[in-house]
Amino acid sequence: MGSFIIRRVAQSLIIVVLIAVTVFLVLRLSAGDPARIRAPVFARPDVIEQYRRDFGIDRPLIEQLGSFFLNALRGDLGQSFRFQAPVTDLILQALPKTLMLAGVSLALSLAVAIVLGSLAALRPRSFWGWLSSAVAAFGQSAPVFWTGAVLVLVFAVGLRWLPSGGYNGLSSLVLPAIAVTLSILPTQLRVLRASMQAVLKEDYIRTARAFGLRERRITFVYALKNACLPLLTVIGVDIGYLLGGVIVAEVVFAFPGIGELALVALNARDYPLIQGITIVTASFFVIVNLLIDLLYTRVDPRIRLERS
Amino acid sequence: MAAPATLPTQGGPGLIQRLRVNVALGAGVVLLVIMVLAAVAAPLLASSGPTEVDLMAVRLPPSPQHWFGTDAVGRDLLSRVLYGGRVSLLIAGVGMIGSLTLGTLMGMLAAFGNRFVRPAVDRVIEIQLAFPYVLLAIAVTSAVRPSTPVLILLMVLAAWAAAARVVRAIALQERGKDYVKAAEVLGASRLRIAMLHVFPSVLPSLVVLAAMQMAAMIVFEATLSFLGMGVQPPTPSWGGIMLDGKNYITSAWWVASLPGLAIVVTSLALVLIGDGLQARTEAMRAREGDR
Repeated sequence: MGSFIIRRVAQSLIIVVLIAVTVFLVLRLSAGDPARIRAPVFARPDVIEQYRRDFGIDRPLIEQLGSFFLNALRGDLGQSFRFQAPVTDLILQALPKTLMLAGVSLALSLAVAIVLGSLAALRPRSFWGWLSSAVAAFGQSAPVFWTGAVLVLVFAVGLRWLPSGGYNGLSSLVLPAIAVTLSILPTQLRVLRASMQAVLKEDYIRTARAFGLRERRITFVYALKNACLPLLTVIGVDIGYLLGGVIVAEVVFAFPGIGELALVALNARDYPLIQGITIVTASFFVIVNLLIDLLYTRVDPRIRLERS
Repeated sequence: MAAPATLPTQGGPGLIQRLRVNVALGAGVVLLVIMVLAAVAAPLLASSGPTEVDLMAVRLPPSPQHWFGTDAVGRDLLSRVLYGGRVSLLIAGVGMIGSLTLGTLMGMLAAFGNRFVRPAVDRVIEIQLAFPYVLLAIAVTSAVRPSTPVLILLMVLAAWAAAARVVRAIALQERGKDYVKAAEVLGASRLRIAMLHVFPSVLPSLVVLAAMQMAAMIVFEATLSFLGMGVQPPTPSWGGIMLDGKNYITSAWWVASLPGLAIVVTSLALVLIGDGLQARTEAMRAREGDR
């Protein structure tokens, strides 16, 4: 058990370092000279040289990588070109809103997946079964920005119930969260439905039936615990989609989070900021996956032997 | 583990259930064929060129002349959607083929490689699966100007690991079976076993994956275009058209909503096909299991 945790943590660290190195190298090698982007268009050569020295790119690549890592460890991800501010500060400002949107969407999606998926597994040929298939198919086919646009048209422009974008209070979360939920729901719904169907065939459920317990009670109390295990794994993979969905939703709804910041950085060719955002989000993603894996071994003792 | 057929949640698929599966499958195929034909025949069907500007007809709502209305510079949206389908379907189609090819090769390597290759491939798959692709796309498109080949490459990068995992799981299952052992005893090479003996068992799942991945790629490509990271304007792509409409959401609802229907209908068709094939494969396996 102990060695499993150590190995898994080491693996996560390696992945984070690999991602950071890749992002650093890709941007450095292909993005062109940061001094030229940063300096005024017709700057004199000595001015450009000064920018180069400020940015540290007159030194060998390996040295740049080294100092980048040392600085990153101290929480310094460099200066943003566009905002003239430390990248770390910019990210820390945007991150809480993104995490809130992601958290609300994930919670909403899990709740719907569990309730609708269980009902569909219990009565596959009922209205619930049909609804669950329909929601899964639709959520898989409709891009976040399209559902977002339609939601804005209906609830913000048409009915005027909710704000169409920006961020002022919790009501700004509703539409983006629904759009994101629809996009991550399908996998969770399918997985929970399938696992619930499998669990309902187990002997201990038959025993519960023989004791005369009510079907709903069996499903939601006794079967659900086991049926939720595969859902946990899916969440790990889903975090990637979740991030993607949140980024798109932020753009559609002009929601001031990491995704919007990334797009601004991209359009301004603000490489330090792009680099910082990519590395921070990727690390976050790896950490969540690590936590889920560790949680898994706690929740389901059966998994331990297979994995280590 | 044959279960008594009297319990409410069990029993094989009845006639109605099979019919339902086939209707969904058929609807998916019909819709997909219509969308593909419409994209192929775009020059015949479109009332004007996809980039033809008409400043006398700016932001017109849907009407008999312009079924989907016109955009901010008076381009006919239906024409743009028809032509945009060519770009979107090409990228998703080629991307899907690339992803499945690479995924199958890597999945087979992960199951049949030697003792050094297997763990290495496993790690690579794991890392790929644990990578947020929108971020990858942001990093790549900030460095390289996005074009059709670049986007296809991105699709392959984003999807191959999922395919590899499925192939690996099935191949590992088959590897322990008698027919594979028999082939080994007869002296067949691992490559031969993987490609000639095990591949047919992987094929049904690959077909389902093909439909599902292509649906996902249509959505992914549209999303990238919507973020400005797709095929560059004025070439129309489905996501790009919606990006044009983003700023007119309140004043011209049709620009941001109607073109998106093409995306939804096409990927829905593919999802229906994938679901239908999946149900049929499962039913087939269940019948084999009974025997």
